[in-house]
Amino acid sequence: MSSYSPENLSLAESVLMGVKEEPGEPLGLFFWICVGWVGLNIFGAIFANVLPLQNPLYGNFNLINAAPSLHHLFGTDDLGRDIFARVVYGARVSITVGLGSILIGYGIGAPLGMLAAYRRGRFDAILTGFMYLLLAFPAIIATIAILSFWSPRSLFKIIVVIGIASIPLVYRVIRTATLSVATKDYVIAAKVQGATDRRILMKELLPNIAPIALSFFLIGVATIIILEGALAFLGLSVNPPTPSWGNMINEARGVLSQNPWLALFPSLALCFFLIALNFIGDRIRAHFDVTEVKL
Amino acid sequence: MSDDNLLVVKDLTTTFKTSGGDLTAVNHVSFDLARNETLGIVGESGSGKTVLSRTIMGLQPRINTTVSGSSILDGFQVVGASEDDKRSIWGTEVAMVFQDPMTSLNPVMKIGKQIDEALRVRLGMNRQDAKARAIELLELVGIPSPVQRYSAYPGQLSGGMRQRVVIAIALACSPKLLMADEPTTGLDVTIQAQILNLLDELKERLKMSVILVTHDLGVVATRTSRIVVMYAGRVVETGTTRDVFYHHRMPYTRALLESSPKVSNKSHTRLVTIPGRPPNLLNLSPGCSFAPRCKYATDRCHSERPELQPSIEAGHSFACWNPLPVNAEATLP
Repeated sequence: MSSYSPENLSLAESVLMGVKEEPGEPLGLFFWICVGWVGLNIFGAIFANVLPLQNPLYGNFNLINAAPSLHHLFGTDDLGRDIFARVVYGARVSITVGLGSILIGYGIGAPLGMLAAYRRGRFDAILTGFMYLLLAFPAIIATIAILSFWSPRSLFKIIVVIGIASIPLVYRVIRTATLSVATKDYVIAAKVQGATDRRILMKELLPNIAPIALSFFLIGVATIIILEGALAFLGLSVNPPTPSWGNMINEARGVLSQNPWLALFPSLALCFFLIALNFIGDRIRAHFDVTEVKL
Repeated sequence: MSDDNLLVVKDLTTTFKTSGGDLTAVNHVSFDLARNETLGIVGESGSGKTVLSRTIMGLQPRINTTVSGSSILDGFQVVGASEDDKRSIWGTEVAMVFQDPMTSLNPVMKIGKQIDEALRVRLGMNRQDAKARAIELLELVGIPSPVQRYSAYPGQLSGGMRQRVVIAIALACSPKLLMADEPTTGLDVTIQAQILNLLDELKERLKMSVILVTHDLGVVATRTSRIVVMYAGRVVETGTTRDVFYHHRMPYTRALLESSPKVSNKSHTRLVTIPGRPPNLLNLSPGCSFAPRCKYATDRCHSERPELQPSIEAGHSFACWNPLPVNAEATLP
């Protein structure tokens, strides 16, 4: 028994240090490659203006629709702008929208979901009914409608609108996760030890739904980045010439036959980023799904 | 008399609103419990044992539940008390040991922290004192090398060890009443006796009262001073452990006793079972709820419900129209 006592690590510590908590599924090498890739993307997005990149807005009209070369790694677009620089800068908008919106969704949806699942009763019934009403309304149409009329468009407004649209989704996932934990004996045990509701929510429920919340968070970021791409494709995201992965693909549409590179690279960037996020989310869920040891 | 009693339960009734109508899980239950006494509550699954034990502490579900009657714990009326008021007795007056130690510990919190919690929040101890006390408690419940175990996660302990931890948590604020709801059902047979002995020993050492809720008569036989037998939410027989085992009057008690295996049986003896199933609590007959399964049942049993009536021994009563004769001494364990 003493053979496995020394790892006194919290969940977060063991994720960061890669220490295998009890059985679970091992995270695996590919998990860390994905984490590295996501990290690289975020690093690029944050430090895009410091990195030795070309100006993403400068058009060299002598070199339009160029194929990849040493000077322009991903080639140039129909205005002679460096695609590599634009893809890196594009990550800024995509990742900001993805993270920002889901943070709004979690900021409001998660506490409400936990509270509703813990309190039950009328509060839960009314709130859940309302959220399902919101879910029944197609979010993408609502988002498009609001963004078309709320001008001038800005990154902030896009984040707010998508963020609000994500609240019922987050609410539903968190509520369901909390429901399954809230009826466990250890929650009742904490209660009969005199723990306050606030304590039960923070110490008993939150840590136990954290793996599900984290994994849905990452999948949510991925979904919203796609949504931003779709909005950009419809011309409803940030205004050109600011690049985002979505509006780059949109712009590439017109010159697809002359310059396939222009569509290819932002699509690949989007694709790899999403695969990595989804994979990380899925791994974390599988890894921490088993909270009980099979003795 | 009432000064001696730690717990006085009177006409306690718990009703759940369900889609099929009102379901009365606990029906006018009355009993009391002296200080430093162990009381057994026995009955089949679905007889209302667990709901009763939770209602006594005020732990019934918050929604769609009505409770009437009274449950006075050390002078505190639990029925109708607010959550905040009940919180003041939970842990310090009454604590609970659960059925399944696999689910009654938070899997992502170190066991030491789970004991600490109560000590720091309820007793206002500082971090060092709480840790020292937690280690003391772990030692008290017989966990080897408590200092190392303090920082173990529940997943790293065996079932028996976990149940010891659950008991340590329950004891943290020195409760006067320990409610043990099927404390051994989730454990291996070899561990069951250890845990029961531990509870017994702690009860003596800490001067607690214990309510042992179980379906296993073997568990209560030697460890309780009195027994309450429940059927379909009602008390059908109550008395000292000796009277219930040897002088029972209610056929249901007899049936329960007969259906537990005995060492004295010849090998390959067929185990006696009670025919039929426990009644549907949503539509109980006007008569005795056990009548449909009872071999002594008469017409009166089906139409009129018997109330608890005293037997010849002091404190022994039963609810039956056709009780077993007084000297129905059974050959039982």
